[in-house]
Amino acid sequence: MLNLIYWELFKTYAKWRTYIGFIAVGILIPVIMWIMWVEGGKFIQHQLRSLQSEFLITGNLFNGWVIAQLIMNGLWVHVPALITLVAGDQLSGEATSGTFRLTLIRPVSRTRILNAKYIATLIYTASIVISIAALSIGLGMWIFGTGDLIAFDKDGITILPESDLYIRFLFAYALAIWSMFVVASLAFFISSFVENAIGPIITTMTVIVIFLIISNLPVESVEGIKPWLFTTHMNVWQQAFRDPYDWERIRTSVLALGANSLFFWAITLFIFRRKDILS
Amino acid sequence: MSDIILRTKNLGKHYKNRWAAQEINLEVHRGDVFGFLGPNGAGKSTTIRMILSLITPTTGTVELFGHDLFKKREAALQNVGGIVEKPDFYLYLSAYRNMQIAGSLTLGKTPDDKKINETLGIVGLAERSMDKVKTFSHGMKQRLGIAQALLCDPQLIMLDEPTNGLDPQGMKEVRELITRLTTERGITVFLSSHLLNEVEQVATRMAIINKGKMIVQGKVEDLLKANANKILFNVEPVKRSMAVLKKIKTVSEIIQTDEGIVAKIDGKEIPSVVNELVKAKCRVFSVQPKHSLEEYFLSVTDER
Repeated sequence: MLNLIYWELFKTYAKWRTYIGFIAVGILIPVIMWIMWVEGGKFIQHQLRSLQSEFLITGNLFNGWVIAQLIMNGLWVHVPALITLVAGDQLSGEATSGTFRLTLIRPVSRTRILNAKYIATLIYTASIVISIAALSIGLGMWIFGTGDLIAFDKDGITILPESDLYIRFLFAYALAIWSMFVVASLAFFISSFVENAIGPIITTMTVIVIFLIISNLPVESVEGIKPWLFTTHMNVWQQAFRDPYDWERIRTSVLALGANSLFFWAITLFIFRRKDILS
Repeated sequence: MSDIILRTKNLGKHYKNRWAAQEINLEVHRGDVFGFLGPNGAGKSTTIRMILSLITPTTGTVELFGHDLFKKREAALQNVGGIVEKPDFYLYLSAYRNMQIAGSLTLGKTPDDKKINETLGIVGLAERSMDKVKTFSHGMKQRLGIAQALLCDPQLIMLDEPTNGLDPQGMKEVRELITRLTTERGITVFLSSHLLNEVEQVATRMAIINKGKMIVQGKVEDLLKANANKILFNVEPVKRSMAVLKKIKTVSEIIQTDEGIVAKIDGKEIPSVVNELVKAKCRVFSVQPKHSLEEYFLSVTDER
C-alpha cells in the first residue's frame, strides 16, 4: 500500500496543476503582507477604537500572529478552489487520459488503488494548508514581529497571550486541514463519475457556495438543516482562538466533518468499484 | 495446471438496449498466438475489457490460469500483461517512470532498474527511457505499451489492435516482436485485430466474432482447410468461361466475384480445367489458389 501511495504522490506532484495552488498561496500571502505593511496598523486601530477609550493597551498588537489569523479568515474562501484543482482531477484525469486502462488491468484491487489516490489527495490538501501556515506565520513574524494575539469574532475580542499561540495556531491549522478534507473528499467523489476535471471543480465550488449561503442565512426555516451542512462546521478552526475552548462545539464539528469525508469516500469507493472503464 | 490458461464461459455485456458481446466462449491454450478477429464494432474490445476486469460482464465467467477473475482477481491477473486499444501513459512522466508505475502495480514494489532497462531494450526504447512520453511517436508509444505488458514476465499478454495507427514498418516490427515473444520466451499471446493479414501471419489459433457473437474458434490451419481448393480464375470473357466451368464435373461452387471467377477444384484437376477453357477460346490471364483467411472471414461473417 505504501508503494501505491508513493507513486500516487509522485504522479500528483509531477503535474504542473498541482503547483498552481502553491503559486497562488505564494503570491497572495506576500501581497496581503505588503498591503498590511503599507496600511500599517490602521486595521487594528480601527478594530480597537472603542476599547482604547476605556483600556490602556501596550505592546506590539499589530504582529505576525494577528496577520496570520487575518489571512486564515481571508483565505478560506479561496483554499477550496485550490484544493479542487487537484482533488477533482485525481480520478477524472486518469479517465480522460485513458490511464485507467493501464492501471486497472493490474493484479491490484480497485479499492487499494482508490485508497492510495484518496490518501495522496488528503496529503496534497494538508500540504496546501501547511504552506499557508508556514508562509503566513513565518513571513508575518519576520515582517511584523511577535506579540499577543487579538482575536476578533462575532462575540467580541479575545486577547491571547503569546505563550499560548504556538499550540493554538497548531490546533487551528489541524482543524483547518480536517475541514478542507471534506472539500477534497467532495471533489474526489465528483471526479469518480465524470471524465474531465472541470466538472468536479465547478460542481464542488457550486456546492460549497450554495451550502455557505444556506449556512449563513439568518432564516428560521433553514435552521433545521444547517447542522447537516458541512459548511456550517468548516469554520471550526476559529474555535482554537476561543478562551476557554468550546469543546462541545469542537467535538460536534470534528465529528460532522469526519462523517462527511467518510461518506464521500464510501460512495466514491462504491461507484469506483463498479465503474466500467469505457474510455 | 490445465493447458487452457484463459477460458470464458457464456461471457456477455448488455448495455441499455443492446448486447455489445454475447455468449463468448473462448479457450486459449498455453503457447498459442490466439487471433481474435472481428470487424470494427464487433465486440472485440468489450470482450478484452471484460477479460481484463475493466468492464463488469452482464453474464458469464472468466477464468485465467485456473482462477475465477471475479472471485480471485489478483491471482487471476498476476501473470497477465496487456494493452487495451491504444496504449495511454502519464505523458508528463518519462518512459522509465511509466514502467516503474506499471511494474509496482503488478509486483507490489518498484521493479529494479535492470529489469526495466532490459524490457525497454526488447522493444528498442532503452535509449529514450528518460524522455517524457509526450515526446514519443505513436509507434514508440505502442512499443512502450508492449514493454509495460512484458515487464513483470507475464505468461499471457493481451494485445488489442497492437498495430493500429502504425506505418507498415512499425506493423512489421510488432508482428516480429509477437513471434519472438512466443518462440523465444514461450509467452502466450492473445491478439485482437481486424487486420486479417496480421492474424494470418502470426496466429496459431483464432476465434472470429461478429455483431457481438462468436462465430467460430479453432486452429487457423484447420479453419482454412475448410476453405481449401478454392481457385480464382482471371479469365475473359467471363460469361463464356462460367458456362465452360459449369460443364466440367470436377468443378463446383462457381461464383463470380469482382476479382474474377472463384470455383472449388481439386488441385490436380487445374491443368485439365485450364485446357478446357483455352479450347473454348477463353483467355486465361491467371489462376490462383484462394484459401486466405480473408476469404474464410468473409464467408463466415457474410461481409461480402
